[in-house]
Amino acid sequence: MPAGGRIEQFTFAGSAREYFGIWIVNVLLTIVTLGIYSAWAKVRRMRYFYGSTRLAGSSFDYHARPVKILIGRIIVVTAIVIYNVLANLAPLAGLAVSLVLLPVVPWLLQRGLRFNARVTSFRNVRFDFAGGYWGAARAFVLGPVIAVLSLGILAPVTSRWLWRYVVGNLRYGGRGVACEPSVRALYRQWWLPALLVVCGLVLVAGGVVALKASSLLQAMGYDDLRRVLSVIIPIGIVAYLVLFYGTAGLVYHAGVRNVALGATVLDGQHRFRSTLSRGRYAFIAITNLLATVFSLGLARPWAAVRMARYNAAATALVVAGSLDDYLSGIVVSGSAVGAEFMDVEGFDFAL
Amino acid sequence: MWKASTLPSDAATEAEQPFACDGTWHPPGGSRAVPARLVADRGRVEIVPADVAAEVALATGLETEVEVSARVGSIPRRVVLPDGSVFVSHDNDALDRWLQRRHGAGYGFVAALERFHPRLLVVVAMIVALCFATYRYALPVMVEVAVAVTPPVAPQMMGRSVLATLDHSLLAPSALGEGVQDSLKRQFRDLADLSPRKAEGFTLHLRRGGRIGANAFALPDGAIILTDELVELAQSEDEILGVLAHEIGHVEHEHSLRRLYLAAGLSGLIMLAGGDIGAAVEDLLMQGSLLVTLSYSRDHEHEADRYSAALMARAGRDPLALGRLFARLEEELGAGGGGLLSTHPATGERIDRLRREAESQLRD
Repeated sequence: MPAGGRIEQFTFAGSAREYFGIWIVNVLLTIVTLGIYSAWAKVRRMRYFYGSTRLAGSSFDYHARPVKILIGRIIVVTAIVIYNVLANLAPLAGLAVSLVLLPVVPWLLQRGLRFNARVTSFRNVRFDFAGGYWGAARAFVLGPVIAVLSLGILAPVTSRWLWRYVVGNLRYGGRGVACEPSVRALYRQWWLPALLVVCGLVLVAGGVVALKASSLLQAMGYDDLRRVLSVIIPIGIVAYLVLFYGTAGLVYHAGVRNVALGATVLDGQHRFRSTLSRGRYAFIAITNLLATVFSLGLARPWAAVRMARYNAAATALVVAGSLDDYLSGIVVSGSAVGAEFMDVEGFDFAL
Repeated sequence: MWKASTLPSDAATEAEQPFACDGTWHPPGGSRAVPARLVADRGRVEIVPADVAAEVALATGLETEVEVSARVGSIPRRVVLPDGSVFVSHDNDALDRWLQRRHGAGYGFVAALERFHPRLLVVVAMIVALCFATYRYALPVMVEVAVAVTPPVAPQMMGRSVLATLDHSLLAPSALGEGVQDSLKRQFRDLADLSPRKAEGFTLHLRRGGRIGANAFALPDGAIILTDELVELAQSEDEILGVLAHEIGHVEHEHSLRRLYLAAGLSGLIMLAGGDIGAAVEDLLMQGSLLVTLSYSRDHEHEADRYSAALMARAGRDPLALGRLFARLEEELGAGGGGLLSTHPATGERIDRLRREAESQLRD
């Protein structure tokens, strides 16, 4: 694979003004139609974000039909209702049902990924997803369990499973995508967030010790001081937990994305590049959350566009030769075109 | 649907201007991009290369066979031709003029509403009003309807399974003497007979509380559990009966079912209105809805207290005894209740309210 090549930058052309209108009308019509419009709302939202994401002058497109999304949602909501009724009437039966349903989870996720890939196109050619059941089970069920049981120490290994499954199984016009991040490179992104978590734990331990000390204060007669401390310290602990764990998660996510996308190659010749600054990414995510909460949700469109713009600006495709020549050579025929393909796309089981 | 008129005179007066807009054309199933121009004239659509003077059409079709994607903001539009080839254009306004000519002025209503305009303030106001009205009026009605249509077998199953779980995990058989147990059950029956469900609607279960200590609670099927520790803490029969009357109130008002439906309704509403709000904010909202159910729970306690005072007065017993028990409970266990984060209201407030309720009962 050639080291050099033309750099085609991803850009996001959407604006907060424009998305605000789409977003707020989506919310209104969803409420007025008792949720039915939510499927149409999702299609408009996805089309806006895909259509505003550009590479080499062309936009992505989202083709899902709202009815398919609506059917998927009705199935999911019905299942949730039945499960909750059962769990309340007969808790043991509820537990049994959830054990029976656990093996279905990877299948649902795999179908969801395939649906999303198949309704996505770039320059009139569709994506596809070739991942199977066991890959999904490893990436989405086994991976999180191992990451938690190892206290996060094996997280880079499970992140590698996840990215290899989700990105490495994508197909564009029948051409494969390879995603092979090295575990060593992932661990290089791991130690900083791990350090943050350890710092958080040390501070929490300090808070607990201070709480114990404050009951000593009470024994010595400083009752008011103890009362003040016993309020401040727990609040401090919670704030630190949120801040440290939240930030650590964001820093880790950005680092893993850089490594994983950097190790992603389209059709064995075009390499992706991701250059997120981990600090800037965490800063944007945290300030987005604060702005959304303190504006009672109204700043959400601005926040979503801001994040999409940053993500796109930090993503590029390093093309061997000319992208236009390469794309012009892609012609898909047979079952991957047209109506039949749309009919096997299945349903979107996401809520 | 728009249709070309066949009358020559009409054709002359509303002569359709040929429509044209610029864009890019992709062949069927192909990623090749050709700068092109869409021309629509007299019901026929033609895609011609932009830079070639010779009119060799890349694709053609009837206006009625052509599919145009809906407008969303200013993202490019997709025009799908009968042969599967696609014409993409950024000229949203021109395409809208053409489509409105075909489908009438109502075309693109949603996209027009979405445009950034002071009118969106009205949309925001409507959403706020709808959310408030749903929470304030529709949600309580939905809870009432759900309670009304719940078949009686559901609370029975819930009560039975909860009692079985509690007996397995927390509770032990009562250690009270048989004489005490019988007398408690007899007095409970007499008291319950004064409520609309009568004594048959309730069962008193006496248990040793162990870890949960002095406590009493009601299950939706009318099972009322009273712990030995509470009996030991009470200094008079009226105090115990006041607690039992409070639990009878919970059953009569169907508070467990109501709380269950309220929690379900709230999370349903959040999922429904949520849309694209971000995972973190959705989590925050779900936690916030817990605060709301807690505030309902405190209202339920007040309601049950009122019920207790009324029932005790009707039974010719002391409605204030319950308040004395609350005060003692607070002394034993430390201050409890009242804040935003508690299921029960503050004890002092409950005692005050009980006193007022008892006074109004005595007046009547």
